[in-house]
Amino acid sequence: MTEVPELTVENLTVRFAGIVALDAVSFAVAPGTLHAVIGPNGAGKSTCFNVLSGVYRATSGRVTFGGHELTSMAPHKVGELGIARTFQNLALSPMLTVEDNLMTGRHRLMRSGFVRSGLRWPSAVREERLHRDRAREIAEFAGIGKKLAHPVGALPYGDQKRVELARALCGEPRLLMLDEPVAGMNATERHEMAELIVTVRESLGISILLVEHDMGLVMRLADHVTVLDFGRLIASGTPAEVQNDPEVLRAYLGEEAAS
Amino acid sequence: MSKLRYLPLLLLLLPPFYLDLFWLQAGLFVMAAAIGAIGLNLLTGSTGQLSMGHSFFLAVGAYGYVYFAGESDEHLVGLGLPPVVAIVCAVVLAGLAGLAFSPIAGRLSGVYLGIASLALIFIGQHVLFNVHDVTGGYNGRAVPPLEIFGFTFDNSGDVAPFGIPFGGLEKLWFVGLILLGVSALFALGVLRSRPGRAMNLIRDQQTAAGVIGIPVARTRAAVFTLSSMYAGLGGVLLALTFQRAVPDYFGMLLALDYLAMIVIGGLGSVTGAIVGATFVTLLPQLLTRYSDSLPLVSPPGTGGVSPADAARYLYGAAVVGIVLFLPAGLRGLRIPSLTPRKETTP
Repeated sequence: MTEVPELTVENLTVRFAGIVALDAVSFAVAPGTLHAVIGPNGAGKSTCFNVLSGVYRATSGRVTFGGHELTSMAPHKVGELGIARTFQNLALSPMLTVEDNLMTGRHRLMRSGFVRSGLRWPSAVREERLHRDRAREIAEFAGIGKKLAHPVGALPYGDQKRVELARALCGEPRLLMLDEPVAGMNATERHEMAELIVTVRESLGISILLVEHDMGLVMRLADHVTVLDFGRLIASGTPAEVQNDPEVLRAYLGEEAAS
Repeated sequence: MSKLRYLPLLLLLLPPFYLDLFWLQAGLFVMAAAIGAIGLNLLTGSTGQLSMGHSFFLAVGAYGYVYFAGESDEHLVGLGLPPVVAIVCAVVLAGLAGLAFSPIAGRLSGVYLGIASLALIFIGQHVLFNVHDVTGGYNGRAVPPLEIFGFTFDNSGDVAPFGIPFGGLEKLWFVGLILLGVSALFALGVLRSRPGRAMNLIRDQQTAAGVIGIPVARTRAAVFTLSSMYAGLGGVLLALTFQRAVPDYFGMLLALDYLAMIVIGGLGSVTGAIVGATFVTLLPQLLTRYSDSLPLVSPPGTGGVSPADAARYLYGAAVVGIVLFLPAGLRGLRIPSLTPRKETTP
């Protein structure tokens, strides 16, 4: 595993035609930590994710990852740096098998193009085999090793979420961004997913940036929490510090609870 | 899995020994259309990029061949290259034409590309009708026969295996089979490996594809170029079978025919493209052949419903029926359980 650099977000501002989705937000994800971004609906969490993965353009501010400035990069360039993410709503190819979906995650690590693939060039065949082996390992790790041959669209929701996480891991990322990994899951599925995230972190030593509404999960897993409300950063610290912050209570529960 | 299941394909070697010219020509049209349809299916079925410009690239291939292989005379120009070299040049030319359009093809997605590519047909028709020197104008131009290492694919009657004299179409049959086979295998190789998976993800989840590290615009542009090369090769075989290239043929109806082929056969599948090409190409031929014995269809030029029109009605109905009841196309009939319904098309 290569060195994991720090992700720093400095004064990040995003405006959509008059609406300020993010207002001068700054935070840093220390190497190998699990950093959670929380906040009520519309706080700007997803916008933040989309800027970090190159999907949206920042209006101003800087995001750097190991000496690379991300805010001006196309999405696939960000992916090439070793930043992988999952999506709040599943973004898989429903008709492809689990294995082929995982293989799309390894795209950036492979080289065969149209000509070599079409002609079944020996180097392309060898590369395909090597990467399939690794994808199967990762599938085992993520608990979907028995479902490799199933079309993804036919799997239950919880498994599809796992496939997405496994696909992100297939890119051998240095920073993994999880957008609501347990949203819409039942209690058992939540518990299993939380365990998987802990395992990923402990065994791979990569940084994880997590957006999640499940407070119990965030408080249990995160090393550091950043709280957003209406696009502004209102609190930042360890889970315990953030939990008692009056600003945070106000944002979540209203004026009365905070006083 | 047993390789024996491919044995029936050997039957495809038999027709030149048994069938008459009508069927051989129909079969060669099917092969040419199948090559073009495989290319369009890579673009539309597998990458989700609609193209109405496919007939333009077929024309580039057909006229490219005629120009590179044809001889100059007082009315027409041609380079007089050896036909095999001319085929390669024609396919490359179609690829270059695709490449020239690919900055647009890479940036536009789905239906929008379909609308933009309509322009290609109109430009193509205008050029074909007006560049008399190359295309022969309205009446078209004769296609020089194929010649491989001094072996000419015409009716000279110099080859007669098992006492059956082989004419141009008989010999061309085998060339067609080889070209189709190589085209199909190449497409399968692409679809089953890295570029194919990237194409599918671009079709299903464009944003996720970009985030994962797939250069979306560049991949789309590459597929567009590849698909135009397939169209070019299909156009060459079409011209060799027709023995005459007529500009009028390469219009919008032809582009719609190709879209019908891939929808009827099965989107995103090589087998589907071949099945669809067979259906759409053979139907009008069959109706023409048997128009005297069929009800409601009258021979061409006698008023009433011509076989070509009747065929279009029929496969128009087939398209509607398949979209409603058989989303995986005719190919899905064989193994419905292995081709699950597509959930959503973003």
